[in-house]
Amino acid sequence: MLDHLPTMLLVMLGLPVAAAVVVAAAGARVPSAARAIALLAVVLNLIVTAFVVKDVAPVLHERNSQIEKIAGDNRIRTFEPIGVPGSPDGRAPTQWSLLAIPVSSTGFSPAMISFYLGVDGLNLWLIALTNFLMLPSVLISWTTIRERANEYYAWLLILQTGMLGVFLAFDVVLFYVFFELTLVPLFFVIGIWGGPARREAARKFFLFTLAGSLITLLGLVGLVVAIHFKTGELTFAIPRLVELMQLQLRVPDTESIEFWRTVQLVCFLAMSLGFAVKVPLFPVHTWLPLAHVEAPTAGSVLLAGVLLKLGTYAFVRLCLPLVPDAVISVGVPLIGTLAAVGVIYGSLCAFSQRDIKKMVAYSSVAHLGFCMLGIFALNTVGLTGGLLQMINHGLSTGGLFLLVGMLYDRYHTRMMDDYSGVAARLKLLAIAMVIICLSSVGMPFLNGFIGEMLILAGVMDMPIGLGAFILAAVGAAGLVLGAWYLFTMLRRVFFGPLNLPHHDPNQGPVSDLTLRELATIVPVIAACLYIGLYPQPMIATTQRDVALIADIVQTRQNLRLPMDKLALAAQPENPIR
Amino acid sequence: MSDPSYLLVLIPLLPLVSAVLTGLFGPRFLRGLSHLPTWAAAIGSCLITVLLLNGLLLTNDPSGRPIFGVDIFTWFRVLSRSPLGGPFNVSFSFEADTLSLAMLLAITFVGSWIAIYTAGYMRGEPGYPRYFAVMSLFLFSMTGLVLANNFLVLYAFWEGVGLCSYLLVGFWFHKPAAAAAARKAFLVTRLGDAGLILGIMLLWAKFGHSFDFQSVFTVARQEPSSPYLLPACLLLFCGAIGKSAQFPLHVWLPDAMEGPTPASALIHAATMVTAGVYLLARCTPLFVLVPEAQLVVAVIGGLTALLAALIALTQTDLKRVLAYSTVSQLGFMFLGLGAGLRHEAIAVFAVSAAIFHLFTHAFFKALLFLGAGSVMHAMGHIIDMRRFSGLRRVMPITHFSFACGALALAGLIPFSGFWSKDQILEALELATQHSESYGPIYHGLFAVAVFTAGLTAFYTFRAYFKTFWGETRVPEEALLHHGNGHSDGHDDDSGHGHHHADLHFTHDQAPVSIVPPEGRSFESPPVMTIPLIILAGGSVLVGLVLEATTHWFSGLLAVSMAFQTIQPPYPEHHLNWVLIGLSTASALFGIGVAAYLYLVRPDIPVKLATNLRWAYDLSYHRFRFDELYTALVVRPLEGLAVLSRFFDSVIDGIVNLIGWTPRAFGVLLRPIQNGLVQYYGLFMMVFLTALIAVVVLWGRQ
Repeated sequence: MLDHLPTMLLVMLGLPVAAAVVVAAAGARVPSAARAIALLAVVLNLIVTAFVVKDVAPVLHERNSQIEKIAGDNRIRTFEPIGVPGSPDGRAPTQWSLLAIPVSSTGFSPAMISFYLGVDGLNLWLIALTNFLMLPSVLISWTTIRERANEYYAWLLILQTGMLGVFLAFDVVLFYVFFELTLVPLFFVIGIWGGPARREAARKFFLFTLAGSLITLLGLVGLVVAIHFKTGELTFAIPRLVELMQLQLRVPDTESIEFWRTVQLVCFLAMSLGFAVKVPLFPVHTWLPLAHVEAPTAGSVLLAGVLLKLGTYAFVRLCLPLVPDAVISVGVPLIGTLAAVGVIYGSLCAFSQRDIKKMVAYSSVAHLGFCMLGIFALNTVGLTGGLLQMINHGLSTGGLFLLVGMLYDRYHTRMMDDYSGVAARLKLLAIAMVIICLSSVGMPFLNGFIGEMLILAGVMDMPIGLGAFILAAVGAAGLVLGAWYLFTMLRRVFFGPLNLPHHDPNQGPVSDLTLRELATIVPVIAACLYIGLYPQPMIATTQRDVALIADIVQTRQNLRLPMDKLALAAQPENPIR
Repeated sequence: MSDPSYLLVLIPLLPLVSAVLTGLFGPRFLRGLSHLPTWAAAIGSCLITVLLLNGLLLTNDPSGRPIFGVDIFTWFRVLSRSPLGGPFNVSFSFEADTLSLAMLLAITFVGSWIAIYTAGYMRGEPGYPRYFAVMSLFLFSMTGLVLANNFLVLYAFWEGVGLCSYLLVGFWFHKPAAAAAARKAFLVTRLGDAGLILGIMLLWAKFGHSFDFQSVFTVARQEPSSPYLLPACLLLFCGAIGKSAQFPLHVWLPDAMEGPTPASALIHAATMVTAGVYLLARCTPLFVLVPEAQLVVAVIGGLTALLAALIALTQTDLKRVLAYSTVSQLGFMFLGLGAGLRHEAIAVFAVSAAIFHLFTHAFFKALLFLGAGSVMHAMGHIIDMRRFSGLRRVMPITHFSFACGALALAGLIPFSGFWSKDQILEALELATQHSESYGPIYHGLFAVAVFTAGLTAFYTFRAYFKTFWGETRVPEEALLHHGNGHSDGHDDDSGHGHHHADLHFTHDQAPVSIVPPEGRSFESPPVMTIPLIILAGGSVLVGLVLEATTHWFSGLLAVSMAFQTIQPPYPEHHLNWVLIGLSTASALFGIGVAAYLYLVRPDIPVKLATNLRWAYDLSYHRFRFDELYTALVVRPLEGLAVLSRFFDSVIDGIVNLIGWTPRAFGVLLRPIQNGLVQYYGLFMMVFLTALIAVVVLWGRQ
């Protein structure tokens, strides 16, 4: 079955664009045709995704036997994507070149910017999440988007390809191109179909993330160039870069060590800036609330559900393995602090909002801060939690945006003060909202719990003494604050005496969730429950790659330990002393 | 172990199945029969518990510590190895030792009778199926909690219990007071839970990267002087403080009385609030290593017991009196837990005493709440004691069973509360003798306990006399609502319940109530009175039969896994006549004073209240804890939130300013800029070309 995997990945990536072209060509006259085609494309892609997961998961599970060896055997390891299109066996680097570069005075090394795609434990579930969330995104737009519907669905589908591309890419330049490509469709989705302040929101979102990612590009390219400078090998393939970087860091030459220290630091700072904007980390998060509030529901769902993960994913995929020393020396204190501040600050901001959607937007700042804490715990437990929390946040925050959208579609206001006792009128909506809120606050047997426990444990296990405890305490405080604002919202909006905003009687009576809306939200709830009850199959697929990254970073960490501690650590093996 | 272990799974599974069935099919199909799955599940679980208990006692386990265990599946696991960080392995497995089974017995037995009672109490309620679905879910969580064999599964069920409490307190969600109380209960307990999970993670990180109780305890015992032990114990205790409503997080429990009364009986009296006591009993092997942590537990327990008893003195809402008595009795249990000092035999004795008090308390407090519910049911959902009196003639069964419960709570020999309270006092006395450096403090705590016991007898009988003695009067609502469904009765919030309504009354001056027509009975239907009678029997007999004459209960607990690593020379249990005399005297004194003040000279309490206005107000307003927290925690936090929002606009402003710089350039470059995306594409291409050019040129050198 793995033989078809490269083809399936190409289909997955290409199908939305192809559908977008068809939808756009269908013309604005028949919006129902546009949404039907979009739905078909999304469902087809979901089926392809199911097959990909089915094929890939066993392969990834097998790799877990390597984990025992990984810890500290000093072998150079790197990402091993599978299903690579354009490679003879689907595992070797691709032969497909986007741009060949003739290099070097001593001959021609085969340097190229390649169309290098693949799947591994880090991106499999993010790909699945992307395709999964497209379904509710299309369904929730079904009746609300009436103007220029064909363009709208075309942009959504292009966005899907962009997001998938980022996760699938194993070439730095390809990664970056997709990373930037996601901006364009979202810019239009917000700017054309958004709320009253959509233009400002779209512009701010665009400039903000663009500015950040341009600096990221500098960092990435700088690193590629530095590696080329030192090794004579010019490559943009991420797995190769990771290998070369590890080899370089082991060169026991003072000048080399100095060189790499500086390069890592500069590149780390440059890279993280763009990623941090995307995440978004405090204090570069201010584009997010505006963009969320103004975006149409589907835009918010994809923005929170997937696009923010581009940032966290990039940290895991690029920052941690490529510049491990800088991650340890600067990343942990800097990003750790910012993430911790974000957890508290985002929660506080969320609490003080009157607009439900804005509250959810700020809650993303808090949750993603939590996610970053897990990633920068730099151990397998924290990283696993961080990866899982990316998926969990996509589901629960996506779900929250969907439900807020459903409420808005009925009463055309998102202000909490306008509502009271909604549960008495809209029972199913209230039940769904309570479940999603519980998932968001980390109730056991729902998805959020699993990720949060792993993150807390990972953070507590960091070798930084009291700091680890403080970070964990901040995380735990985040759990309380999360419950605080969400349950306050529930009390205000859904409970208490019934008092609904004015509703235009000409539009017919307000009904509880329709079948279409159930089809939108029930899969999300089902996924939340599944991950909460039986997350192990999912966790198991990530383990080898998580251990790989933890190993790359921890190898560097151990080198940083003072000599006496190393001697102490070595004592059990040498009982002579 | 052997086959019966798999029965263990059924204990939580039956309520879970019931919850799912009732939740899915209740509103459409079961409707008025929605109580049936819950009845079946609760009674089924109870029978299985009895079966297992029987089997466990018959087992001749060579270790002398019989246990049933079943591993269900690996919930989540991260393989890892130093230096990549410790492994994280949560296996979803259950284990029942004698401590778990004792807890299960209380939960499922009392739970079954409460379930039966509820069918009468909630009859005709619009959310009838919803109530039973959540109640089953609660039984699932609570049984899972005591069966968990590792910290994380325990925590998961712990949170589940909190959720069920939220859903039950907020059952009448259209009432603002209920909605607020539900949120408060959830948030305050979650504050404690945050401490608990930090403690669990600290134990995991520092004591062998495991969540299993036994392996954590083993590692901890090997490092008794680890500096992490004290913080870990205190953090675990934080969780217990929240869940078991101890000072300073006790404020949620009285408000939780906004829920339906059977829910109060089940959750806020008999079972859920005991989770904290269970947690600490389970972690005895940790706590015996840290006397300082034990001292904190005992002091908090003593403080809570006293404080809650003082508040209960003046409350006029019958349910609130009972709520504060629960807080106070839980304080007693923590006093017991905190008395289990490093001396191993004392630890076993003290912890057994606390668990025994938990056990007897489950019976008599459930009984009292159900009795109060019966009164409330009859009085048209009025529970303010100033609006009814002399009910003994019109509600004879309720009166009789309530009296049994009150005597047990007051701790009068030979009622069950007496025996367990006596054990706690004895544990405290042992602690005063054996504590190395905190002897005087334990002396003080002992005095507090005896004094509180007297107060308990007083306020219990104050409530009892006010409700059941004197001239027979009932509120108008009793005649209006009696017999025609209760849904409308709940809707208006008249008189009963939340504190704002209380302020409208002047002290001890009753609003309208009337003398009911002669011969009119207000007794509740048999579905409600039979559980009362059964539980009354339990309240009278449990102490005498299970402990005082047979020592069955302490013998059972002595072989619990909670004590396995201690291996105590178990002391001969003896009757300490001085203690018995002391506690009986204080109980009798309390009852006597209550009888004199409320039967013979009812004018004195009114005078006392006016003359000692400040003290009365302090107690009546619960030492103003709610106001204090609002002023010190809630408002500052809300202020901080608003401040954050403002600060966010400042950051945004700065960012916009930075954003203006390119726009200023943009104005200059406007002629060549015909659209943002094209500009962007162009920019990207130029940049990429330049970059590649640089790379290529660099390479050529």
